[in-house]
Amino acid sequence: MSLKKQSMVVVPCSGIGKSLGTVTREAAYELCDNLRPSDMRLVALSKLVLGDAEACDLVRSSPAVTIDGCKQMCASKLVKHNGGMVALEFAVFDAFRNHKDLKPEGIADLNPEGEQLARVLAEEIAEHLDAILCSGTEQGGPHA
Amino acid sequence: MPSLIERKVGIVACSGEELAEGTVARLAALKVLHETRPGKTVTICLPLFLAGGEGDRAFARFHPTITIDGCDLRCAARGTEMYSGKPTASIVISDLVAECGLGKVEGRRQLNASGKQAVDVTAQRLTEFVDEILGAPALAVLNSVVAEPKPAQARSVGCACGSGIPISKVSIDGKTVELLALPLIFQQFRKLGRGPESLDEDLLAMVKVYNQVPPEEEKSYHEAILREYAVFCQEVAK
Repeated sequence: MSLKKQSMVVVPCSGIGKSLGTVTREAAYELCDNLRPSDMRLVALSKLVLGDAEACDLVRSSPAVTIDGCKQMCASKLVKHNGGMVALEFAVFDAFRNHKDLKPEGIADLNPEGEQLARVLAEEIAEHLDAILCSGTEQGGPHA
Repeated sequence: MPSLIERKVGIVACSGEELAEGTVARLAALKVLHETRPGKTVTICLPLFLAGGEGDRAFARFHPTITIDGCDLRCAARGTEMYSGKPTASIVISDLVAECGLGKVEGRRQLNASGKQAVDVTAQRLTEFVDEILGAPALAVLNSVVAEPKPAQARSVGCACGSGIPISKVSIDGKTVELLALPLIFQQFRKLGRGPESLDEDLLAMVKVYNQVPPEEEKSYHEAILREYAVFCQEVAK
């Protein structure tokens, strides 16, 4: 499947207990609202928990970018669980490992470092998207 | 003397990223967790019911839960019921906003003034629910003295999730039904000096906090639980 001219969906993890969950949410908003507003559509993870038909159709018909906040990888697992294809899989803790100066703190209100980490992560995702859109190939495979 | 574990109310927010109401749900849950009722509440990530383990599901079955949903899809309430157990109480932000006559909630990333008002109103309602649940007379007593589960007794089996919450197999109308936390509940009623002959609907009400009891089978459940409680009291008296 070529990804050229194809819209994609982004699914952040919804994590409510840790700052990293908030970073996933912020990165997804940054991507959809500012960096790739015409290509990216956000899908709420809670809909995938329920198996909502519209949300499941979306992840089955559009490659997904998942952004997870912890090792449970809920976003990635649930996209696959609903028959979707994860084209790009990101974890905030990997981003933090690469940017140790941006330690996120706060859940309801992220600190400036956390907000910056979200922006950096969103930019990295956008770069990866550009790379695979240029090559016209997907990175992940369809879920069995 | 076994150590004590405290009953807490589990809050499951939809966190819906697509809508501003999802942000309200999330922020209201956090406000209660960190500000109005810290130590008495915990949050449970909704996706963990599916992506996590049995421990996450068992937690929500054992502890009373309140769900907060942004819209009438009610993902949190339905998801909790589907994978764990019926929530003790539920809030739908869009309904609450309408009920309180608030303006249109907007700004999923940065809430507008109505959205911020909605967070306060929702947190207040949520706090009232938490107090109601933890303050229920029978549960209040249970909160103060609930002991950590004893090693599984002959009549009960431990939960596979390793949570230590005992699951008992009880015969009800010829069917074998698994009930959560029965020995714990029995222990507390026994500590309160409630003999089998003095029980009314209280025991069933407590069992219903932690287990789903089909309304049409309440009578059968009630009879079976009373029977089990009588056996429990006889065994303790030996």
